[in-house]
Amino acid sequence: METQAIIDDYVNKVAAKLPRRLRNDVGVELRTLLTEQLWSAAQEAGRSPDSTLAVDVLRRFGRPDEVAARYAPRGFQLIEPEYAPVFVTVATCCVAIQWGVTLPAVFSSRMTLGDWWLRWGLSAFSWVGFLVLWFGIASWIQRRFPVDPDSGRRPWTHWIFWVPFPGEWRPGEPAATEWRAGLNTAPLGAVLTFFFVAPASILRHLLPAGTDTSWALYDGRFQRWLLAPLIALMALRLVLLAAAALNERRRARTEALRFGLWVGFVAVLYWALLGGRIFAHVLTDTLFKAWLLIFLLVNTIQILVWIRRAAIRVRMPEPLARR
Amino acid sequence: MYCVIHCDVRRMVKTNEGSPSKLETELRRGALVLAVLSQLRAAQYGYSLRQALAEQGMPIEEGTLYPLLRRLEEQGLLASDWRIEDGPPRRYYKLNAKGTRLLADLTANWQALVVAMNRLLK
Repeated sequence: METQAIIDDYVNKVAAKLPRRLRNDVGVELRTLLTEQLWSAAQEAGRSPDSTLAVDVLRRFGRPDEVAARYAPRGFQLIEPEYAPVFVTVATCCVAIQWGVTLPAVFSSRMTLGDWWLRWGLSAFSWVGFLVLWFGIASWIQRRFPVDPDSGRRPWTHWIFWVPFPGEWRPGEPAATEWRAGLNTAPLGAVLTFFFVAPASILRHLLPAGTDTSWALYDGRFQRWLLAPLIALMALRLVLLAAAALNERRRARTEALRFGLWVGFVAVLYWALLGGRIFAHVLTDTLFKAWLLIFLLVNTIQILVWIRRAAIRVRMPEPLARR
Repeated sequence: MYCVIHCDVRRMVKTNEGSPSKLETELRRGALVLAVLSQLRAAQYGYSLRQALAEQGMPIEEGTLYPLLRRLEEQGLLASDWRIEDGPPRRYYKLNAKGTRLLADLTANWQALVVAMNRLLK
């Protein structure tokens, strides 16, 4: 009976670490199997089962937590291994940017190092938590709605949430995929461009008469200096997409221009974000800027990735290149 | 399907990549699922299956084999039921239709692999 108590104790320890639905079933099965294992070991050793033999059988079977892990359903990776380098790069950049932007206040004696650490230094690490959540959701979306292996198309669900990689890919002209993706978003771009010309006026026409739309009015300074360049850049991008759609051969030539427009657009938006109010209404301005910050971070990362990819070229190893 | 099972088996290996004994273990683990499926054309319970495999030169640690049976069942390849015959209640496992099809596929793959490897190792 002593040996059975040892086995039961072991089985209970394994069962305690199993999901509830498996606990009983696996526990009963394991107890039977281990008991038979013990009797077999005793038979081989030519003696009766005893506690020493029972402990030996259990030791060979494995530590309870290891055994439970083998029975437990397969878990999932919060961040897929192929995203790990991107995750580390992005998280490091976010922490470095927050430190880089806020640390000058310490050097210009506007803040003590202690105050800086408590206010900005430590809080920079919250980016890591935010990114874990972001990449976790992105990984889940990709597992749940994978890219079609034949066509290389990303399902529409990928657009609900910004999923960093993998993008659409198919063999062919290098920039074609990006152009195609750009063309898909062109109608939305046209509507947004039109809307951002005068959101308050457009909303006044769309909403029931008498609805207050003053919360959508631009700040005077923004409207005077930055709105026109932004709308012009958005419109130019649409023209460029249309030109590329009509004449595929010109895609390579217009690629640099497209990139330039993109960088210009992002730069003007940074200016708008940091240079003062965008909307006259405080709440609209705060909410829009919160969204704009995320939009700009995503676009900055994409621009950096684009530059890095453009810079990567496979070259001949040195000894071969010399021949 | 093979990848799912194979990945599961790989998950159990604590790799010390490069060491000859670990590579040997990896090699054996690659054949583990096929070996187990091959013996489940007739119903077996964990201990009898382990005996059957050992008798035919394929000893498998019980700590590896029993959880593997559960996972193969969860993947819809095995059917199981509790039986009380001459002893304590035992859970018997047997290939279902999907498992039988997979066994046929894996057997064909294995045989092709053996032919290719034999040619390479000459």
